[in-house]
Amino acid sequence: MIYFVKILKKEFLIYSRKSSSFISPVVFFLISISLYPIGISNDPDILKNLAPGLIWITVLLSTLISFQNIFAEDYEDGSIELLLASGQNLSLIVLIKIFVNWIFSCLPIIVLSMFSIFLLYLPIEGLKPLIISLLIGTPTICLFGALAGALSLGKNSITGPALMLPLSLPVLILGTQAINYSLNGINFSSNILLLTAILIFLLPIILFASVGALKLHFN
Amino acid sequence: MFQTLKNFYHKLGSFPWFYKISGKVIPFAGVLSISLIVISSIWGLFFSPTDAVQGDVYRIIYFHVPAVSVSQVIYYSMSIAAAVFLIWRMKMAGVYIKSLAPIGAAFTFIGLMSGAIWGQPTWGTWWVWDARLTSTLVLFLFYLAIIGMQSTFASRKSADTAVSIITLVGVVNLPIVKKSVDWWNTLHQPASISITGESSISSEMLLPLLLSILGIYLFVFFTGLLSMRAEISTREQNKDWFKKVSNYN
Repeated sequence: MIYFVKILKKEFLIYSRKSSSFISPVVFFLISISLYPIGISNDPDILKNLAPGLIWITVLLSTLISFQNIFAEDYEDGSIELLLASGQNLSLIVLIKIFVNWIFSCLPIIVLSMFSIFLLYLPIEGLKPLIISLLIGTPTICLFGALAGALSLGKNSITGPALMLPLSLPVLILGTQAINYSLNGINFSSNILLLTAILIFLLPIILFASVGALKLHFN
Repeated sequence: MFQTLKNFYHKLGSFPWFYKISGKVIPFAGVLSISLIVISSIWGLFFSPTDAVQGDVYRIIYFHVPAVSVSQVIYYSMSIAAAVFLIWRMKMAGVYIKSLAPIGAAFTFIGLMSGAIWGQPTWGTWWVWDARLTSTLVLFLFYLAIIGMQSTFASRKSADTAVSIITLVGVVNLPIVKKSVDWWNTLHQPASISITGESSISSEMLLPLLLSILGIYLFVFFTGLLSMRAEISTREQNKDWFKKVSNYN
C-alpha cells in the first residue's frame, strides 16, 4: 500500500514540476473556444445551439495533446521496464498514472469550460449538466487515451488518435445529449447514469488491455 | 464428434496443413462464389419484379445487404480470432486478423457507398446521420485503426498482440456505440426510416437476395483464403516446408 502511495506522490511531483503537461491542454482549449465565434458566427442564437457539442469536441481534442504524457517519458527513461520487473500490481500503477494525468490535464479544462457561458453564450441552466457530464465522461476518455498511448509508445503516428477518437464516440454523444436535454427542460440524469455505467464497465477492461499493451514493448 | 472437431482445431493452427488444404479448396470456392454472384446479380437485376414504391432503384439491395452483413460478420469473427490469439497464442489467428481486416474494410466501404447511392434517389440525400449508418461508419473506422496498427510494430508477434487487443476492445465498445447512437438519433429525428424491411419483402425478391448473400460470403471465404495464403508465404518464406511446397529454391 505504501508503495502505491509513493508512486502517487511521485507522479504528482513529476506533473507539477513539468508545467507544459497541464498548460498546453488549457491553452489549446482557450484558443479553440475563442476561435469558434470568429469562425462560425458571433450570433448568440447560433452559438447557443452549438455550444454543448463544441465544448465536448474541444475537450476531446485537447486530451489528444496530453495522452502521450501518460507513458511516453517513463518509456524513454526506462522506468516502465523497472515497474514491469518489480512484480507489483501493474494495473493499479497504470490506474494511478491515469488518475494523475486526468487531474492535471482534464480538471483545469473542466473548470475553464465555465467560461463558455460568456464566450459561447451557453445558457446558465446548461452549466450543471456540462460540469457533471465532463467530470464523469473525461475519465473514460483518459482510459482510452492510456490504451492508445500504451499501444503507440515510441512512435509518432496517427494510430493513437485513430484508435482513441472512435472509441470515445458514446461518451461524446451521451455528454452533449445531457446538456441538450437540460436546455430543453428534460431530465438528464439517465445520461449521467449511463456515462457512469460506461466508466465502471470499461475501467477493468481497459486497464488490463493497457497493461498487456505495455508488456508488448518489452519482450 | 467432439474429438474430430478438436483435431480439426489443432490442425488449423499448423501452417503447412492449412497451406496444403487451402490450395485444394480455393478453386472450388472461387468458381462457386463467382458463379453464385453472377447468377444472383442477373436474377436480381433483370428477372425479379420491380418494387411498387421504389421502382428499379431497390435492386441495389443485392449488393448493399450482403456487403453490410458480411462486414459485421467479419469483424465478429476477427474478435473471436483475437481472443483465440490472446488465450492460446495460436499464430494462425494473427494471420487471420491481418488478412481479413482489409477485406472487411473493403466491404464496409462498399456497403457505405452503395447505401449512399441508394439513398440519393429514395431519401433525396446521400447521407443521413441515422443510427445504422453511423455505427457502420464507426465500424469502418475500427477497421482502419486495426489496419493502421499492423505496421507500427517491428516484431510480428507484438503487432499481432496489439491488433488483437484493439479488436477485442472494439468489439466490447461496438454495442455501446450502437446503443448510444440509437438514443442520440431519437432526439434529433423521429425514427421514420427503416432501411430494409426484410420481413415485408416478397419471396421473388428474397430468393436472389439470399443467393447473393451466400455468394458474397463464399467470396469472402475465397479471398480470405487467398490472402491468408499470401500472408503465410511471406511469414514462412525461409522455412523448409515452405521451400519444399513452393518449388522456389
